[in-house]
Amino acid sequence: MDAATIRARFRDRAFVVDESFATALQIALALEKPLLIEGPAGVGKTETAKVLAEVLETRLIRLQCYEGLDATTALYEWNYPHQMLRARLSEIENATLEEREAQIFSERFLLKRPLLEAITEKQSPVLLIDEVDRADEAFEAFLLEVLAEWQVTIPELGTIRATSKPRVIITSNRTRELSDALRRRCLFLWLPYPTTEQEIAILHARLPGLSERLASQIAAVMQTLRGLSLQKAPGVAESLDWAMALMNLHRDHLDMRALAQTVGCVLKVHEDHGVARAHAADLASAMGETQASLQSGGYGLDTDFGFGTVSTPRH
Amino acid sequence: MYAFGGLPENLVIFCALLRRDYGFRIGAGELLDAARALNIIDLSSQQAVRAALRTVLAGTHDDVMAFDKAFDRFFLSGALAGKQDAAVLERKPEPGAGEEGTVSKRVGTSGAFDAEFDEGATEGTGLMTPLETAAEDASGVIGRASYSPAGVDSTQAPEVPEADDEWVAAARELVRRVHLGPARKWRAARKGRRFDLRRTLRASLQTGGEPLMPRWLARPHRHPRFVVLIDASRSMNQYAPTALRVVSALTRATARVEVFVFSTALRRVTIELQRASLGTSHRLQALSRAWGGGTTIGACLSEFVRGYGDRLLSSTTVVIVVSDGLDVGEAETLRSAVQAISRRSGALVWLNPLLETPGYEPTALGMSTAKPFVTTFTSVNDLAGLVRLSRNLRLHA
Repeated sequence: MDAATIRARFRDRAFVVDESFATALQIALALEKPLLIEGPAGVGKTETAKVLAEVLETRLIRLQCYEGLDATTALYEWNYPHQMLRARLSEIENATLEEREAQIFSERFLLKRPLLEAITEKQSPVLLIDEVDRADEAFEAFLLEVLAEWQVTIPELGTIRATSKPRVIITSNRTRELSDALRRRCLFLWLPYPTTEQEIAILHARLPGLSERLASQIAAVMQTLRGLSLQKAPGVAESLDWAMALMNLHRDHLDMRALAQTVGCVLKVHEDHGVARAHAADLASAMGETQASLQSGGYGLDTDFGFGTVSTPRH
Repeated sequence: MYAFGGLPENLVIFCALLRRDYGFRIGAGELLDAARALNIIDLSSQQAVRAALRTVLAGTHDDVMAFDKAFDRFFLSGALAGKQDAAVLERKPEPGAGEEGTVSKRVGTSGAFDAEFDEGATEGTGLMTPLETAAEDASGVIGRASYSPAGVDSTQAPEVPEADDEWVAAARELVRRVHLGPARKWRAARKGRRFDLRRTLRASLQTGGEPLMPRWLARPHRHPRFVVLIDASRSMNQYAPTALRVVSALTRATARVEVFVFSTALRRVTIELQRASLGTSHRLQALSRAWGGGTTIGACLSEFVRGYGDRLLSSTTVVIVVSDGLDVGEAETLRSAVQAISRRSGALVWLNPLLETPGYEPTALGMSTAKPFVTTFTSVNDLAGLVRLSRNLRLHA
């Protein structure tokens, strides 16, 4: 699949990607190497894997990493109660010890966890290893082994080899630096915030009813906000939420009052509201508002968080 | 345009340039992947070639940022620049360099590699050796070269002193003494407070299905994470070796250390230090630009909170600031940054080398602003100091 096709297919699923993104995916698919995606929160790292699975018409298998994740949770586990029951029941049969053992340790009693599942899938699945930086270093080393060999050894069963290589997407939020070994095993893609044009395209793709003016205003304000020194800069997910909120309020354009009403969709740390208030003039000019309307409209963030005035349609 | 005709040659030289001037870690594997990638994509599109090579050759965010500059310089700049690159990289290996010659044969690539070895050998700066040889060549430089457009003098780069076993032992003690209490998850343990049915049943298979051996679960101890922020201003120059030694020891004692240096800007140097502490004592090339100059502590610390706070600060994090507190920025910025760090971390340790000076009182504006938020205020000038720190370390209540 070439880059243009990937772009088009992603576009069909309301996911707008630029050319370098598409090229990276194309290469990852062709070279059959894992793709490590890093970038700020909320730019669609996880979504990439989901859409890729849809595009390839295959299954998405997700391994969410967290601190303390170990091989049993990621790879496989025996179904002990089931085995136990079986052992008890087979006592009455006149089976030899070997036969009973073979029965108990067969695939029927194996609980497949994401990694083993990905390996045993018939058609190459998309394996999403999400937020790998949250897992311990020990798990990273274990992951390396699986990614390199694509085989898993279960002492009671023997070695299971991948029937088809999974397409691997690894995401990281850079909580800690990943090891060089893992980086070298992967192709690397840095996913930054979208440009204004891209963001407008994304808004239109995801929310077809959105007015042209509102979309460009939202994108412009987002661009300005990301330039400020905020504790939690808003991502694309926030843009979409915000656009949805504004549409629900039947706004066809954005002004300071609308921003004040809905600021909770965009800025999620209290200190950031203060920063935004200090840069109200920049935000107003991003919206295309004049200084006069800024003064009359006001930016009442401290008095009004939006709860009192937001009206949601009732059915 | 670049000086050579064929694409493979250019690719090899481009990779060598990335390694030499931009500190990329590219081995034969990456080179091969790059060639395969170029085979797949549409070569007539500059955008595609750029994206393809970036995907394969860059490994970190810093690499990505440097890549476009390198790409423009190599493929798009005037003929002169291209020829200069080529001339540097095409230098034939000298007869004396037998050792490198054999290595490059094993690696199995073209002459550009040899040329690069010679550069490294003759000039003795921190040039990259290919990854394959790094482990064998103990005397070679394992560190990452940095792009230094201003021609930074390598002697400016701080040297990382080797932490000997005593230092590492003291650092381990420090890590051990951070008592964070039990974690919330349950883990298998020999003795514990909760009965583990699953493992008991598993164990009962050995005794014919009779659960004779009970198994237990316990809450494991939480392990601390360390974030060290080192002031790299000129006034701290004297103290730099000690600070780096402490960090180096800590890096060897636990894997959960993140290191930053700051003067007028903040820089994450965890990887550089890890690589440095693996080898023998050598200079941190990548730090040379961060090292020296005045300090805006407040601005740098708030940059840290903004950029890394979410990810690195938690109740298990011990933040160690190494600084003399001589701040040229605004006190209010410093106050809010230190407050944010203090509120979101398990402990805030401030190591101030000036404390060793007889009669010193932390009355300078910067230090007196930060002091109320600091849980442990001390200095570490020698091994005994580090041992003392591990005894005196206090966590937030």
